Formats: sequence, C-alpha cells, structure tokens
Amino acid sequence: MARSPLARIAALSAILVIIAVVFLAPYAWIVSSSFKNQFTLFGDVSPLSWRAFVPIGGTLENYVSLIGRTNILRALMNTALVSAAQVALTLILCAMAAYALTRIRFPGANLVFVLILLTFLMPIEALMVPLYQVVSGLGLANTLTGVLIPWIASPFGLFLLRQAFEELPRELEDAARIDGAGHATIFLRIILPNMKVPLLTLGLVTFLFSWNSFLWPLVIVQTPDQQLIQVAIAQQGSPTQLPNWGETFAGATVATVPLIIVFLLLQRYFTQGMTMSGIKG
Amino acid sequence: MKGATIPVTEPGAQAGRAAADIGAHPRQRRDRRAAFVFLAPFMLLLIVFQYVPLAVMARNSVLDYTLLNPSDWSFVGLRNFEDMIAYDDALTSFGATFLFAFGVVLLVVPLALALALFLNSKLPARGLVRAIVMLPVVTSAVVVATIWSFLLDPSNGLVNGALAGAGLPRQPFLTSVDQALPAIVAMMAWQQVGFGAILFLGGLQGVPAELSEAARIDGATRLQVLRNITIPLLTRTTLFVVVIMTVFSLQAFAPAFLMTMGGPQESTNLIVYHIYRTAFVMQQPGYASALSVVLLLIVLAISLAQMHLLRARWNY
Repeated sequence: MARSPLARIAALSAILVIIAVVFLAPYAWIVSSSFKNQFTLFGDVSPLSWRAFVPIGGTLENYVSLIGRTNILRALMNTALVSAAQVALTLILCAMAAYALTRIRFPGANLVFVLILLTFLMPIEALMVPLYQVVSGLGLANTLTGVLIPWIASPFGLFLLRQAFEELPRELEDAARIDGAGHATIFLRIILPNMKVPLLTLGLVTFLFSWNSFLWPLVIVQTPDQQLIQVAIAQQGSPTQLPNWGETFAGATVATVPLIIVFLLLQRYFTQGMTMSGIKG
Repeated sequence: MKGATIPVTEPGAQAGRAAADIGAHPRQRRDRRAAFVFLAPFMLLLIVFQYVPLAVMARNSVLDYTLLNPSDWSFVGLRNFEDMIAYDDALTSFGATFLFAFGVVLLVVPLALALALFLNSKLPARGLVRAIVMLPVVTSAVVVATIWSFLLDPSNGLVNGALAGAGLPRQPFLTSVDQALPAIVAMMAWQQVGFGAILFLGGLQGVPAELSEAARIDGATRLQVLRNITIPLLTRTTLFVVVIMTVFSLQAFAPAFLMTMGGPQESTNLIVYHIYRTAFVMQQPGYASALSVVLLLIVLAISLAQMHLLRARWNY
C-alpha cells in the first residue's frame, strides 16, 4: 500500500494547485480585468485563455473613470475614518468594561454580566429596522457617527478581553495596590501594557468588521457625501446603463486591497481573533 | 468556611442593603464608584443600541405604520404574525433561507475538514496555503458577491468560459430557478470554507497524537484512524462549525441584494433581504418587525445551543 515518495509529492502538488486555482483565480481575474477595457476583457474570457489572469496591455482607464464618475475616493476616506474611530472607541470601551468585570468587586456584577450575555446572542441583522428608528431618532442618520456608534459597545469585544484579563495574574497589581494606586492607575499602567496582543486582536477583528460592513451603512446613510466603500461599490453600476465590468472590478479591487494588505501583515492575530469571533457573527 | 475570614470585603454580603454605600468600607465605596465609571459608557450604549431597539421591535411588530411617517401608526394586534401564515411570502423566504443554510453546512463541513486535515499534515508553505484559503473570509460579502456574479455571468463569465473550453454547455446560473440557490450556496461555501478549516485545525490540535500513532502501529490504515479516532474526537468542533455556518447563513444579505434581488421566483429571497425590502422598500416596518421577531427567536435558539457547545469547548 505504501506509495512512493514521488507519487506522494505529485498528489500533494495536485491538491495545492487545485487550492490555489480555486481561491486565487477569481482574484487574479478581477484584478487583471480591472486594468483592461471591456473588449479585451471579454476577448480573454471567451474563449478562455491564460491572458484572462494577466493584465496584458494594462490601462488605468477604469480607475480614472471610476474616480471621476463616482464618489469612490470620498467613500474610501469615510470608511477609513469610520474604521479608525470604531477600532479606537471599541478598544477603549471594551477594555474599561472588561477591567470592571474582572478586577473590581461590586454588587450587581452578575446582573450586568447577564445583560451583556443576552445581547451577545442577538443577530444584528434582525435589529436593523428598530435600530434605524433609534439612530435616526437621535438625529444620527446620514452621519458617520451614526454608522459606527451602535457597534462600539461590542459584547464580543468585551468577552474577548475579559477572557484575556482574567488570565493576567493578580500579583502583578498587588504591589501597586499596596502602594495606594487607584483603579485608573492600575488600568492604564499595569493592565493595558500587558494586554497588547488581545487588544491588537480585537482591533483587527473590529477593523475587518467595520471595513466590510454593508447592510447597516446601506440602511442608515442616504447622503452621497457620507457613503461608505462597500455601499459605494455595490451601487456604482447605474441601473440605466450596461454595467462597465472593468470599472466594477476596479471598484472591487480598491475596496479589497487595503484589507488584504493588513491581513497579510498581521495574519496570525487575525486568525486568532476570527476563531474567537465565531462566537458572534 | 463561609465568609468567616473576610466578611467585610465579601461583595454579596452588602449587595441587598438599601443604603449600602453609607455603611460601606471606604475601599468598597471606591470600588463601586470605579466600577460605575468603567462600565457606564459601555452599558449606556448597550442599552440604547441593543435593548431599546429590541423593545421598539417588539412594539413595532403589533403596529401598522410607515418609516416615512412613524408617528402615524395604528395598533393591529397579532395581525402581522397572522399575515405571515396567511400569505406565503414569509414561508417561502424562511424556506429559501433554511435551504441555503442547509446547503452551506452540507458543503462546508466536509470540505473544511478535508482542508484542515491537509493543512495539518507535513506540507511545504503551509502558512501560505492557510493565508490563501483565508483570503475570501476577510473579503467583504459585497466584493465576493460582485466577483461571483461576474464569474457566473451567463454570456461572458469565467465559469462559462471554462465550461465552453471543456466542451460543456453554458449554464444560466443566477437567472435559473433551479441553479440560483445552489450557485449562492457554492459562493458562500467558497467564502467560508477557510474559516471552517481554521476552526477544524484548532480542533485537530486537541486530538492527542499518541492515539493515532498507537493505532497506526497496531496496523490501522489512515482511513480507519480518521474514521474511528479523529472524527469522533472532533464531534464538538464539528457541531460548532455547523452552528456557526447556520447562523452566518441565516444572516446573509449581500447575495440576495446584489446578485439575484431575491429571484428568480423568490428562490433566493433570503430572510434578511426580505425584511430589508419589506421595511425600506415596501414601507411596512410593522410586518418587517414581526418577521424580525421570528428570525431573532430562531437565531437565539441556535445561539443558546452554541453557547452551550462553546462552554463545553472551552473548558477542556
């Protein structure tokens, strides 16, 4: 039954090639095609040739017309702003709450915990209609604040940090406490500096969530000036004209590349965070 | 044992007292104040953006009104829920969503397990392969839906190009009643299989290597080890992947919004899209809220099962 090492290598390579083709070919096609005009693009697909995956005779035409015709740059900037603010605020709020729940003894802690636990189970999609009414009732419809504010008190973030905070030995802060340090000092000087990895993990997952979110920004923002990138690329094809494939691909590329760069640089933390984020969709 | 040594700092001891703060130790008072300050921003936002909407949803589900003029409402009792039974839109939509979820689970679980086993073996460039299968996971649902609607385009799509190249007939995919749902199932599986594989990889780390090695020495084949040792030990992870993929599928929106608009013939009218369209396009947020209540209860039931599994998962 024992296969020769050569057969094993051949089988392995075949599987690797299949994986690479299945997962990478669509990206290669989209990115290459974003540099092609409609005519070349279609010509390379039917009949299908390897040229479909290589931007031969590349042109920036699609990008130029996309930027000129749509508000995609504005949407990118808005998204970067929202994502950065959402990451910062989520980290601050969740870290503070996690500190209270792991380091301070107070009456009612159990009640607070149950309240948080319950929201952990609610799918945000089911809440979008009433959430729309609440957020627009607060005068935050069509604002970037309105886009991010419902998500910064993230039960998932709290749970992730709470788990990490609990593993931190209490001896670390005992000496400071004896010296009379208050909670603010312990939180800022002892807990946070020792929690860089969990904070980075949560920051990345929050960034991913924020950058990629679609349904909520679609619902809460109507003003073109405040539009976010996912909504912009979903809506950029005008219904009255035939879709310009090259432009659509350029949009998809622009919306995806920043995130993929971040992902490739910080893969380990991403994977860690997402494995835990499976807890909440 | 009970409270004998440090009765003063025991938090439960003071919890019920009305004017607890007056008699409290200064240290306790400081702790309470700190707990309040540290928790208040989080809890305030949680209440405003989770609990208030929940209450609003419950109220809305028994009302008839429009989002254009929310103050002009009328109470209709349980009519919204009765309508869900009387008209078949809800049934069709939930049916399509469950079929979608079922298909995704059916595809993702075996593929993710196979992928995880492959990634767990001695492999050149394992990290690179892992990164490749994770790419679709981090790509937004909008971009994935966009990519796939062009991949599956009936006339100029890449898939039909490949089919034609292989001498096979072209397929209509998203425009066909029979093929649209399977097509978006395949897309979702493509996007999530890497995630499933990562979860399975975590589970595989918990399978003791000695067990399978011992079995191998006793003459068991690879397949026997897989079937009798590895897979049974992965039961918990498998359940976890099933639950996660189900919940993800129940919440899917972009495929229906971007690729099919729920069609053809409602075959891909996923429930979140149906709720969106009912509330924001058809201006029936009351009815949409009733649909949301049902969706919430379904996901809640699944999530409770998930929490249960999770507790079991994290305790070993």
